[in-house]
Amino acid sequence: MLARAVPLVLLVDAGVYLTLALRLPFGAAARPGAGFYPVIVAVFALVVALAGTASAFRGVPGAAAEAVELDAASRRRVVISVVALVAFCLVLPWVGYPAAAFAFVTVLLRYLGGRWTTALLTGALSAAGSYGLFAMLLDVPLPRGLW
Amino acid sequence: MGPLEGLAYGFSIALLPSNLFACFIGVLVGTIVGVLPGIGPVGAMALLLPSTFAMHPATALIMLAGIYYGAMYGGSTTSILVNVPGEAGSVVTLLDGYQMTKNGRAGAALTIAAVGSFFAGTVGVVGIMLAAGWLADVAIRFGPPEYFAITLGGILLLSRLSGGSILNAFVMVALGLALGTVGMDSISALRRFTFGSVQLAQGIELVPVIMGVYGVAEVLLLAEEGIAKTQIASVKLRQLLPTPEEWRRSTMPVARGSVVGFLTGLVPGPAAVLSTFISYTVEKRMSKTPEKFGTGMIEGVAGPEAANNGATAGAMVPLLSLGIPFSPATAILLGALVVHGLQPGPLMISQRPEVFWGFVASMYIGNLMLLILNLPLVGVFVTVLRLPQHVLATLVLLLCLVGAFSLSNSFLDLWVLAIFGVFGYALRKLRVDPSPMVVALVLGPMMEKTLRQALFLTRGSVVDLVARPLSATILILAAAALFGPPLVRLLRGRRIAMPIVP
Repeated sequence: MLARAVPLVLLVDAGVYLTLALRLPFGAAARPGAGFYPVIVAVFALVVALAGTASAFRGVPGAAAEAVELDAASRRRVVISVVALVAFCLVLPWVGYPAAAFAFVTVLLRYLGGRWTTALLTGALSAAGSYGLFAMLLDVPLPRGLW
Repeated sequence: MGPLEGLAYGFSIALLPSNLFACFIGVLVGTIVGVLPGIGPVGAMALLLPSTFAMHPATALIMLAGIYYGAMYGGSTTSILVNVPGEAGSVVTLLDGYQMTKNGRAGAALTIAAVGSFFAGTVGVVGIMLAAGWLADVAIRFGPPEYFAITLGGILLLSRLSGGSILNAFVMVALGLALGTVGMDSISALRRFTFGSVQLAQGIELVPVIMGVYGVAEVLLLAEEGIAKTQIASVKLRQLLPTPEEWRRSTMPVARGSVVGFLTGLVPGPAAVLSTFISYTVEKRMSKTPEKFGTGMIEGVAGPEAANNGATAGAMVPLLSLGIPFSPATAILLGALVVHGLQPGPLMISQRPEVFWGFVASMYIGNLMLLILNLPLVGVFVTVLRLPQHVLATLVLLLCLVGAFSLSNSFLDLWVLAIFGVFGYALRKLRVDPSPMVVALVLGPMMEKTLRQALFLTRGSVVDLVARPLSATILILAAAALFGPPLVRLLRGRRIAMPIVP
C-alpha cells in the first residue's frame, strides 16, 4: 500500500504546486519572473510523479519496492514514536522544554520496552542534561512554557 | 600562495589549541556515530551544526569535517566485529571483514582498515591541495551559464548514481527542487508558496530536513526492533598486529583504493558508498583467487576501507573550489560556512586562506588522531554498542528535536523535522534513497539564480546558454552518463536479438 500511496501523494502535491506556480509572474525568456523556474520544476515534477505513480500501480520494475510487512509489536513501537514526536512539537510552546523533554523521553522509553524506573530516571537526566547544554551553555532560548 | 607555503600556513592555524580541540571532538564524535548503527555522519553533523555557530568558520569546518571522515573509521569497526555496518560506507567491509573475525583475524582486519583509511585520508588531502587550487583557478572564469550547467549536470549525474531506479531518483530531485523554491524570491523579493507564513518566507531550512530524513528516520527504524542486544567479538591489543603476509597483500589494494576513492569523491553521488563497491570489484578482478572473496580476504577490507576515506576527501574538492556540494554531508559543510557569512567558491582560497588551508591541514592531523584513537581504543568504542537500542533511539530523537529548534529558535523547524522524519522512514521502507532530494534542495536555489542570470545575459536564448564550450561539455558528459548505460543495454539487446528476427 505504501508503495502506491507515496507516489500518489507526490502526484497530488505536484498538481497543487503547478497550480500555485502558474499564479506567479512568469515573465519572458529574456526576463524570467518569479514563476518562471517554479513552472519548469512543476512540469518536471508532474511528469516524473505521473510516471512514478503509473509504475507503482502497474508494479513494473523501477517502481518503489513494497515495504516489508511489520509485525504488530514493531508497528506499535513506530506509531508510538511518531505520536510522541508530534505530541512534543504540539505541547512544547505550552509546557516548556524541561517538562516536554522529560515526558517525551519517559513515555517513549517506557513504551519502547524499558522499565518505569529506568524510563523516569533517564527522562529526568536527559531533560536536565540537554537543557543545561543547550539553554545554559549554548544560550539557546528554549521555551519555558506558560508558567 | 603555493601548496607547500599554504600547507605550512594551514598547520599554523590547525595547531591552534581551539582548532586541535575541535578536530579531536569531531573525529571522536565521528568514530562513535560510525560505530553506532542508529545515526550516521550526516545526522550527527546536522545535530552538531548549531553548536558551531559561535565558533570561527575554520574551527566549525574542522569539527564538522572531522565527524564526516571519522565516521568512516568507526563504521569499519562494527562491520568487522559485529557484522553490522555502522554507516553505509562500511557495508562492503563486512563481506570479508566479519569473515576474518570468524577466522580469528579480527585484530588484523581492524589494523589494516585503520592504516588503510589513514593512508587514503592522507593521499586525499594531497589531492585536495592540488585539485582544489587548480579547479579554483579555472572556476574564476566561470559565469552563470557554466554554474547552471554544473548544478544541472551534477543533479542529473547524482540521479544516475544514487542507486535504485532512476525514476525514483527523479521524483526525489523534483521534490527537492520544489522545496528549494519555497520562500522569498532572491531576485524580485516576491514570497512564493509561503501561505502567509513569515517563517516560511526564509525558505525551508536544510538542516531540519537532513535531521529528519537521516536522523529521525533511522531512529524510527531502530524503534521497530525494540530492545535488542548486540553480540560483540572481543579483540585484545596484542592480536591487532597483522602478519607480514597480510601487510604485503594489503599494500596495493590500499593504494588503489585511495585513488579510486578520491576520484569517486569528485563525482556527484554517494561517493563514500560507491567507492567501496568499485574498489571491492577492482580488487576481486585483480585477484588471482577471486573465488575466495567473501571468505575473509584482507584485500576485501583494505581496498574498500581506503576507498571510503579517499572519497570523503575527494568530495571536498567541488565544495571548496566551486562552492557546490554534491552530497548531503558537504551540503551541511556549505551550510556551516554560509551561516558564518562565507561563500565557498573559487575566491575563498585566496580571500580566506586561513579557512581553506587550516581545514586542509586539520585533515592531516585528524587522520593521525583517528589512527591513534581507533587502534588502542577499539574495545572502548565497541562498548558503545552495548547501550540498549531503545535508550539510544529515544536520546537521539530528543537531541534531534532540541537541535532542530536551536537552529533558529523556530517551531516551524520542529515540524519540518517531524514531517521529513516520517517521510524519510517511508522512503527507507520503500528502499528509496533521499540523497537526490537533499542535494536538489541545496542546489535548486543556486540553479534558479544562475539560470535566470544566464537568460538575462543571453537575452533569453537557450541555445546560447548551453552552447558555450564548457556548459556544452558538462551537459554532454552528464547526458552521456545518464542515457549512455540504458542506450548501450538497448543496442546490445538489439544486437543479440538480430539473428532471431527474420
